[in-house]
Amino acid sequence: MSVAKPPNIEAGPPSAGAVVDAAPATAPRDPGTAPAWAAAIAASHCARCGRTCAPPARYCPDDGSAMTPTTVPAHGEVVSFTTLYSPPTGFASPLHLALVELSGGAKFFCHGAGTKGLRLGARVTIEAVDDIYYFSTLSLAGRAALFWRRRAETATGRISAFAKSAAKLLQRTP
Amino acid sequence: MGDVYISGAAMTRVGRREESLPDLMAEAGRGALAAAGLERPDALVISAMNPEEFVGEGNFASHVATHLGLARVPSLRIETATSSGAAALFAAYAALKAGLHRTVLVVGGEKMTHLPTPRVSEVISRSIDPHERSYGATMPALAGLVARAWMGKTGASLRDISVVAVKNHANGAKNPLAHYREPVSLETVLESRLVADPLRLYHCCPISDGAAAVVVRAERTPVRIAGIGQGSDYLALRYRDVFTGFRATRQAARAAYRMAGFGPERVGVAELHDAFAPFELISMEDTGLAPSGKAARMVAHGETALDGRLPVNPSGGLKARGHPLGGTGVAQVVELYWQLTGQATGRQVSARVGLAQSIGGLATSNWVTLLEAA
Repeated sequence: MSVAKPPNIEAGPPSAGAVVDAAPATAPRDPGTAPAWAAAIAASHCARCGRTCAPPARYCPDDGSAMTPTTVPAHGEVVSFTTLYSPPTGFASPLHLALVELSGGAKFFCHGAGTKGLRLGARVTIEAVDDIYYFSTLSLAGRAALFWRRRAETATGRISAFAKSAAKLLQRTP
Repeated sequence: MGDVYISGAAMTRVGRREESLPDLMAEAGRGALAAAGLERPDALVISAMNPEEFVGEGNFASHVATHLGLARVPSLRIETATSSGAAALFAAYAALKAGLHRTVLVVGGEKMTHLPTPRVSEVISRSIDPHERSYGATMPALAGLVARAWMGKTGASLRDISVVAVKNHANGAKNPLAHYREPVSLETVLESRLVADPLRLYHCCPISDGAAAVVVRAERTPVRIAGIGQGSDYLALRYRDVFTGFRATRQAARAAYRMAGFGPERVGVAELHDAFAPFELISMEDTGLAPSGKAARMVAHGETALDGRLPVNPSGGLKARGHPLGGTGVAQVVELYWQLTGQATGRQVSARVGLAQSIGGLATSNWVTLLEAA
């Protein structure tokens, strides 16, 4: 078993990481399949057992192998969700949390703007806002709610974040 | 080596206590020694999840040993988060099995009610994966995620999980040492405030002070430890494949049944880790006491009530007896010992084999212990 330190892997909290390009860091991006806007989530892959972890882990939790950096698509299916009404210090109540199984295989812990009408197995997209990941349904209203919720931000920041998100949605819609 | 037996048990009243944690642990420890007719054990095993942060005490095994007047007895402390008490019993069991000692006193306890609830919640949350904690995850939040996934798979309703809390409060009302001694109605549970959707306040166990103790020994007594098993899982919820049950419980149950040489069909009474009401149902299925997906129906039909076919949590469980973290795993065994020896006044059931299941953290280090009456 190799115990060599893999490059570019951050371990430990808070490990939200950054949104990176969809193509794995190790392979050149194919402009035909990975459009410039397609965000993905930093992850790590175990060559030995095939497990993918997001955010990336230094060592595989199953067999201790050093993991290789990779990325996974920033969308998937809701495994479960909850709304916490007495969140810890530093978090606004209610705090919406979800566990999403990303299309790339890893399960991912994230925040959301709300869980009203959300169902187990629902398809959601994930975006980072200030390095914190949020899930949202693909609707414009969902996106608006997500960005409007950010209290700390200035009005202009909210509007520009929402505009960027909406632009992504329009690009993504065939 | 031969079998390991329990020869005495005691616990404090659970709830909001004025006494210090060492005082509570000494009360339980002395009670168990007296019940066992033993003056001085060969060794002392202590369990407390986090006395450093809850009460500001360290080197806690020596502290309790000295406080108990057992300063010359070798002592150690065991910690596996909220299942520490069960782990301490295992350490004692292993020492006896190895022939290192003939008698061991196990004392578990915790004291938290003197701190504000957000502070208690923060300290308990330290047993959660740091990344998930950085997203605001608390124990109720993770329990809410597991409960929703399990309810989605089994079709169990809010009413199904609420019936568990009603049953356990009814049992607690008959236990003089329980934290809550008031029965609650189904409406009270269903209408209590949301904590972590779908979990409401009355689905969650209280913050409790208390301690429990047992004496284990190599000489034959009326109650034998027939099996004891541990199971584990990833610290991070996001690494797990199964959300509709706990791998750690399943693994622990398999190990305990294998050691005992019998299966769940012989179990006549169980103490399960209902830190959150749906965990009792999940744990019934994980330990094989209920077929997969059938636990809710068993509880709804009264099969797990005190007068049912398989009474579960006759003590009131974590919900009503209370959950003094490091003490809980021991308190479960105390209850089973009393049940198997006819000492559970007011809530006595008829059983020859008892099962205790303890969950550590969000099910990262779980234990199943089987006791058998001789």
